Amino acid sequence: MIDWLAITIMAPLLGAVATVLAGSGAPLPGAESETDRERADRVSRRVHRVGLLAILASSAAMLVATALVWIDGPLRSELGGWGVPLGIAISADGLSAAMLGMTALVALGISLYATGYFCRGTISVHFWPLWLLLVTALNGLFIAADLFNLYVMLELLGLAAAALGALTGSREAVSANLRYLLVGLLGSIIYLLGVALIYTGYGELDLGLVRASVAADVAAGDGMLPASALALMTAGLALKAALFPMHFWLPPAHANAPAPVSAALSALVVKAAFYLIVRLWLDGLAPAATGAGAVLIGLLGAGAVLWGSWQALRAARLKLLAAYSTVAQIGYLCLFFPLLVEIPPGPLRENLIAALLLMALTHGLAKAGLFLAAGLVQQSAGHDRIEELGGTAQNLPATTFTIALAGTALIGLPPSGSFVGKWVLMQGAIAEGQWWWVVVIAIGTLLAAAYVFRVLSRAFGLEPTPTRFVTEVRTELPAFLLALGAVAGLGLGSGLVWDLLASAPMGQGG
Amino acid sequence: MIYDLWLLIFDLVLLGTLLALAVAALSSPEPRRAVMLFIAFGLWLSLVWARLRAPDVALAEAAIGAGLGGALMLAAARRQAREAQQGQALAVERPSPLAVWGLAFGSLIAAAALLWVYYSTLHGGPEPERLADLALARVPESGVTNPVTSVLLNYRAYDTLLELGVLMTALLGIWSLGRASAPFQPAGPALTAMVAWVVPLLILTAGYMLWIGASAPGGAFQAGALLGAAGVILRLAGDPAAGLPGETAQRWLVSLGVAVFALVGLALMVAGLGFLTYPPDQAKWLILAVESAATVAIGATLAAAYVGGRRA
Amino acid sequence: MSAPFLYGAAGIILFALGLWSLLVHGPLLRRLIALNVMGGGVFHILIAVAYRGDAQAPDPVPHALVLTGIVVAVSATALALALGRRLDSGDGDD
Repeated sequence: MIDWLAITIMAPLLGAVATVLAGSGAPLPGAESETDRERADRVSRRVHRVGLLAILASSAAMLVATALVWIDGPLRSELGGWGVPLGIAISADGLSAAMLGMTALVALGISLYATGYFCRGTISVHFWPLWLLLVTALNGLFIAADLFNLYVMLELLGLAAAALGALTGSREAVSANLRYLLVGLLGSIIYLLGVALIYTGYGELDLGLVRASVAADVAAGDGMLPASALALMTAGLALKAALFPMHFWLPPAHANAPAPVSAALSALVVKAAFYLIVRLWLDGLAPAATGAGAVLIGLLGAGAVLWGSWQALRAARLKLLAAYSTVAQIGYLCLFFPLLVEIPPGPLRENLIAALLLMALTHGLAKAGLFLAAGLVQQSAGHDRIEELGGTAQNLPATTFTIALAGTALIGLPPSGSFVGKWVLMQGAIAEGQWWWVVVIAIGTLLAAAYVFRVLSRAFGLEPTPTRFVTEVRTELPAFLLALGAVAGLGLGSGLVWDLLASAPMGQGG
Repeated sequence: MIYDLWLLIFDLVLLGTLLALAVAALSSPEPRRAVMLFIAFGLWLSLVWARLRAPDVALAEAAIGAGLGGALMLAAARRQAREAQQGQALAVERPSPLAVWGLAFGSLIAAAALLWVYYSTLHGGPEPERLADLALARVPESGVTNPVTSVLLNYRAYDTLLELGVLMTALLGIWSLGRASAPFQPAGPALTAMVAWVVPLLILTAGYMLWIGASAPGGAFQAGALLGAAGVILRLAGDPAAGLPGETAQRWLVSLGVAVFALVGLALMVAGLGFLTYPPDQAKWLILAVESAATVAIGATLAAAYVGGRRA
Repeated sequence: MSAPFLYGAAGIILFALGLWSLLVHGPLLRRLIALNVMGGGVFHILIAVAYRGDAQAPDPVPHALVLTGIVVAVSATALALALGRRLDSGDGDD
């Protein structure tokens, strides 16, 4: 009997252990002799091989789990056989399965890219175990059904992400990621306070049981405890999801991390915190969700869209632009909240949830592709200052095309998935009479177009026409495929998302 | 719950001291003094928890929270004080009085709101059925008799497995940041003699804690913390490796906890029982095996974290 | 005034004190102390809810949660201190 959900956690975790063991024997930094360099290369290659194997196994398990949810409906596993409320359950409904699927694809792309990007030195020895632990944390978060288990996953995620972000060792990277770590810790402890209040009030930690208790309480008119707990948990998670105005830590942290790590941070880690907010607002503590709170989230989201897009337009560096773009995209996702809380369950609500998911998935793929491409530009040109990017299109045609594709997904041009998502969002806003969100989306889209075109216009110079499209397969191809997936795959295949959510609706995981 | 006046006075004194220590630690500008007050706060917190009938957690807080956390912070504070002496101190920025008072006011409002919510939760209706009775009732099926160990290593074993992963992640991050700091000078005769007694005693006590954790307060985390403390003492006495073996062996030790736990879980899954589902008659031995691996891993990780980097 | 409320209230006050210190002070060590005090406060609330008087055995589940939380907090503190040390010393290692 194979518990695929448990395997999605154990595969990357044991893979991390394997890469820790494979990394022994690396010479210390600063060692310069010839034998030391040979040893470093040997160990580095060994770690790359073990790590790649581990990530292939993990991604396969994640895709199997996603497929099972699509075909058979929600998956659920009560670990230890104790059942809830005593034991911990893990479950995957359509939302979780979609996030798992996206993580699998993005993780594969980033891993393949990393084998080419981290070719010198022993940085791979440190990268692979931490990266596999990050994937463990992401999977664990997406399938968790227990409030305290989520806390442990959040901490694992935060530590691994901060450690990965500081891998370049530069002063900016270490400083920015230390700030990220501290902000993350603050967020976790606020979240834990919410969990403590829930346990004090209801004596349960399982999401399903908590939902039932909260519903009973709210129906009896006693909603202060769950509302306060939800507020605390959302505040903690908002810090981790870089929701405006608590986004200040994100641009330096993402811009200074090594390219594969930036891709993971922007596409997956921030998304995971946001996924949790959605999970709590629409599933776990849904009965306690207030309209006022949702409007507050919507307003902060609007601020994020406008401020993030504006700062992206003014950014001097490509990676900084991409980081600010992430802030803006999280804002778009928050605009769904005021609509979702007002609309009663039914097809319109289902549509909006699917659109939210589609936008999140599209952004994940597109942002990963953009950061990977930006990393290649930085490696080739030695810097990523946008004003001085002349000639990139000729030197790295595949990479520039990737940036263009990712850019269209970020703007929201058809046929990308974010076009469908924004379209449904705008329809929903107009249907509910909250037309002001449409104005925000329109301005954000215009600004996004401006900053994408700003990058692309600099990319062309007076260099000779290139003879080959792809210069280095290992690094350029994953980036390209991710961006293509965002534009074509998710856009033309967006029906898949609707199907997935239909076969495993939210909140019915077991 | 009503209890008599003396107990109330005792509790108020306990809590008052706790809050006073917290305020002292938080408001002390000199780093070493702040850390020492924090260690005192941690130990007092452990005392309060012992009063609240939580001996396992009190042990863990004293050993890990105040003890190892305090040791780590004290090392950093010493380094800062040394750098300040050598003239490398960064300018200390004094926060503006407006910020200080404004934030104090904000925190006061937040505390008042939380106290209000907490009070009405406790007194707003009948006491909810929490997990206590269910957990205590099923302890005989869990393979151990200490209820906290049942929860940690059986009912909620998945959390503990990932917590070992968190510990490993922190150490991997520390290793990625560069070399270890310079070792301490070799100890004088008095410290050496003391170390010769204390370290074996710590290792013995750790083994005892591990074994007794099945039936009395104790367990893998407390035992591992004692091993880590032994490593810290060795490093303070001049051993640059804190008693740890070479790098390859360290990598094996550090990943042992996660590896054994995960493999046991997977083996149980393949055997048809389910992931991390112990058969009741073998649960005791499986838990002991996992706890032993975890103790070694926790001890090695904490000692290596104190060393603070990769050694030449 | 019952024991759980008294102890839980102390936990909330610790949380608020730590939060204030975290937001006001700049140096890393003071922030870490503040975060640890905040954590101690939240753990304290959990231990308070687990206490069921001297007649009944306490609730073991919050005890296990706090144990996990302590280890997680120390791990995070260790990593933060290592990052801070790297910033201060600024060696150009790999």
